[in-house]
Amino acid sequence: MSWSWIPQNWSLIWQLTWENAKLGVLSAIYGLIISIPLGVIAARFRWFYPPTLAVVSIIYAVPSLALWIALIPAFGLTDTTVIIGLTAFSLCVILPNVVAGLRAVPAPVRQAATAMGYGPTRRLVTVELPLAAPVIIGGLRVGVVSSISLASLGQLIGVSSLSYLFIDGLQRSFPTEIIVGLVCVIVLAVVCDLVLVGVRRALTPWQPRRQVAIAQWTGMQRAALRRRPA
Amino acid sequence: MSFFSYAWDWLTTSANWHGSDSIPQQILAHLGYCALPLLLAALIGIPAGVWIGHTGRGAALVVNVANSWRAIPTLGLLILLAVYLGFSLLTWLLPLVVLAIPPILINAYEGVAGVDPDVKDAARGMGMTSWEQVIRVELPIALPLVLVGLRTSAIFVVATATIAAYIGLGGLGRFIFDGLASNNYGPVAGGALLVVVLAVLVLILFTVLNRLVVPVGLRRQAKLARTE
Amino acid sequence: MITFEAVTKRYPDGTVAVDALDLEVPVGKTVVLVGPSGCGKTTSLRMVNRLVEPTEGRILLDGKDIREQNPAKLRRGIGYVIQQTGLFPHRTVEDNIATVPVLNGWRRQKARDRARELLTTVGLDPELARRYPYQLSGGQQQRVGVARALAADPPVLLMDEPFSAVDPVVRASLQDELITLQRELQKTILFVTHDIEEAIKVGDLVALFRPHGKIAQFDTPERLLGDPVDDYVAGFVGFDRGIRRLSFFTSQGLSLNTGPVQSADTTVATAQASGESWILVTDGGKPSGWVPADSLAGQPGSTPLSQLAAEPVGHTFTVGTDSLRAALDAAVLSPAGQAVGVDDDGQAVGVATFDQLRAAIQAAERAAEAAAAASSQPADATTDETDNSKKRDPGQPGVQPGVQSAPSGAQP
Repeated sequence: MSWSWIPQNWSLIWQLTWENAKLGVLSAIYGLIISIPLGVIAARFRWFYPPTLAVVSIIYAVPSLALWIALIPAFGLTDTTVIIGLTAFSLCVILPNVVAGLRAVPAPVRQAATAMGYGPTRRLVTVELPLAAPVIIGGLRVGVVSSISLASLGQLIGVSSLSYLFIDGLQRSFPTEIIVGLVCVIVLAVVCDLVLVGVRRALTPWQPRRQVAIAQWTGMQRAALRRRPA
Repeated sequence: MSFFSYAWDWLTTSANWHGSDSIPQQILAHLGYCALPLLLAALIGIPAGVWIGHTGRGAALVVNVANSWRAIPTLGLLILLAVYLGFSLLTWLLPLVVLAIPPILINAYEGVAGVDPDVKDAARGMGMTSWEQVIRVELPIALPLVLVGLRTSAIFVVATATIAAYIGLGGLGRFIFDGLASNNYGPVAGGALLVVVLAVLVLILFTVLNRLVVPVGLRRQAKLARTE
Repeated sequence: MITFEAVTKRYPDGTVAVDALDLEVPVGKTVVLVGPSGCGKTTSLRMVNRLVEPTEGRILLDGKDIREQNPAKLRRGIGYVIQQTGLFPHRTVEDNIATVPVLNGWRRQKARDRARELLTTVGLDPELARRYPYQLSGGQQQRVGVARALAADPPVLLMDEPFSAVDPVVRASLQDELITLQRELQKTILFVTHDIEEAIKVGDLVALFRPHGKIAQFDTPERLLGDPVDDYVAGFVGFDRGIRRLSFFTSQGLSLNTGPVQSADTTVATAQASGESWILVTDGGKPSGWVPADSLAGQPGSTPLSQLAAEPVGHTFTVGTDSLRAALDAAVLSPAGQAVGVDDDGQAVGVATFDQLRAAIQAAERAAEAAAAASSQPADATTDETDNSKKRDPGQPGVQPGVQSAPSGAQP
């Protein structure tokens, strides 16, 4: 392990980490943005969810690399291709959590809100989504962490990311570089995960800690089932 | 030309179906790279998950695994082992097994831990030993989730085996990386399409398996629970 | 027979769920543990099949310490019925019932045959055998739960609030069936409930718990109602316990008047001559209505009573089998203020006024007190006396007063 390599190549490491982060985080956020309206519809209209879930399951089964390859003719070997692919995957992970979170809002709470005069949209935004937040964020955490890890694969189709360190390290038989790459991906993922935990805590001061952890755990279970293949 | 037309052209070129490194051979190789890790992961993950779910001991381990395993980049792991071990069985087997275990472990755990506590109480109260409770009651009820875990893992392994071709293995990834290296989109598209087809077949296989293996009473009850 | 000897359950955080419990469940009897939430009744029950282990004291099953037996083997000899049934969702009804026999080594077909027998025993159509639990109603599931507990023919049954999760109508019928079943099978039953009415209806003996695991009173249902040991017991038992206690007194000793009973073809004149203020008109022997004497006044003497407008009879009671409570209820509902007594065929036997009821009630209470005094003796001396007297009618509990075999008074 050659420690000196790290400071020497700091700007490279940092740049690759930043690229990777962008790809992963943006994809997860886009996935969230699409999942929420879809999830709201699926939670409201029961018949909508099974076919949607079927489509989502199929998309989920498609390996990222293959999906990017399919998008190359249309979008080239660019960031866009990677982001579109990862957004589709994040969707697979986050959507079920949106639906589950909304469905888990206790019926008496929803009914009370309606009885007090909340229209459906207002009720959704001010009551249901906030209550579903822990579960949704649980899904988002899985989405972000997996997207960051998968985004590194973008390097295989030439999109700059942390896998550059793996590939370069392989070519030069230089373990240090590889290990640095591994650490960066993992640290980046963990940091984003912790940020989201903080976001969750900030958004749900009304829940006791343990209960939130349990809701999160359940939410993450559902998302864990949908861990995207590398 | 679109992705599909490239793929189609390549797939319909008969030369690709014969000789060494032909499509059928790589498909078989790919399946081989998938089957063994999956089998080993199941042999480790299911008993472990069931045991932890039944006794409740070690649940913290499962939580930690669930929280962290998604962060590990499989390519990095593969390459690291390739550098240290060269091209041996362990180089590809170890990362694939290690990364196939979490979905199986987590789902087996959740399946068993999630069995209705009243059912578990009744089983224990009726005089079943621990072993009997697990085999006759908890595991059958946990079966749907165990199958989901196996399915997730299988799809994951199919995809990762594709990546493994990067460090020189065979399999469908071979077409992709050779194609990319030689700027030949045909095999790239064709290989990718085959991988997708394979993954979807695995998905269908497990759906059918679920229908065959899970007792009617359980499926309907789960459906009732999900639609309410 | 189940014996608790100074059994205590203390949890690591200091809570005492059960506090030095001494209790004996006689063979073939139903003992009900009743009390508020958290009083230790369920914990006590679960200590019998070792799902919970006592911190102190011991529990004997037919004289043997249960700790000396292998837990799984012990449990196979004890039937266990819980509130949420715990039916195995992945197995059919018959396979659920057949569980313990199969565990004990029976061949599956033989076990399934027994399962079908038991379905009939618990009042279910054997057609349900191949269904799955989710296809059954709550009441049906509960019956399957009971059948499952009975499958290996255990001498002891533990029932933990088995009927609490179903609606009152279903619950009443399940209680009735348990009583009928118990008359046939004579199992030793330990039954837990939070519902004092259920305890009184179902139990031969009732142990009323205070909060935090001590028994306030362990007595027959009748004495719990008639002789609560303190305000806590009286309060728990409920405010109209005097009237409810009458369920335990038979109407056998009630004297009846035949004077007011007249058949429908009797003339008005004859009816007026009887001097009764109310006439009970019978048609073919069965009571059909009450006619007040006033409405006889303006009628020609030769009119048969059948032509007069009569007020409805209301509720009748079956002489001898129904309790004094039923008779009192009949009197209250009757426009004449008199209870109409009929025989098993519905033929009118006579009527009783409130005064006659009062006399019968007082006589019954005196007899009960005398029996209580007589039976304050060692418990084992009294076990023989029970059999001839325990005529427990499912719909209307009526037990002859006096011959009980319970330790009288409170358990500290």
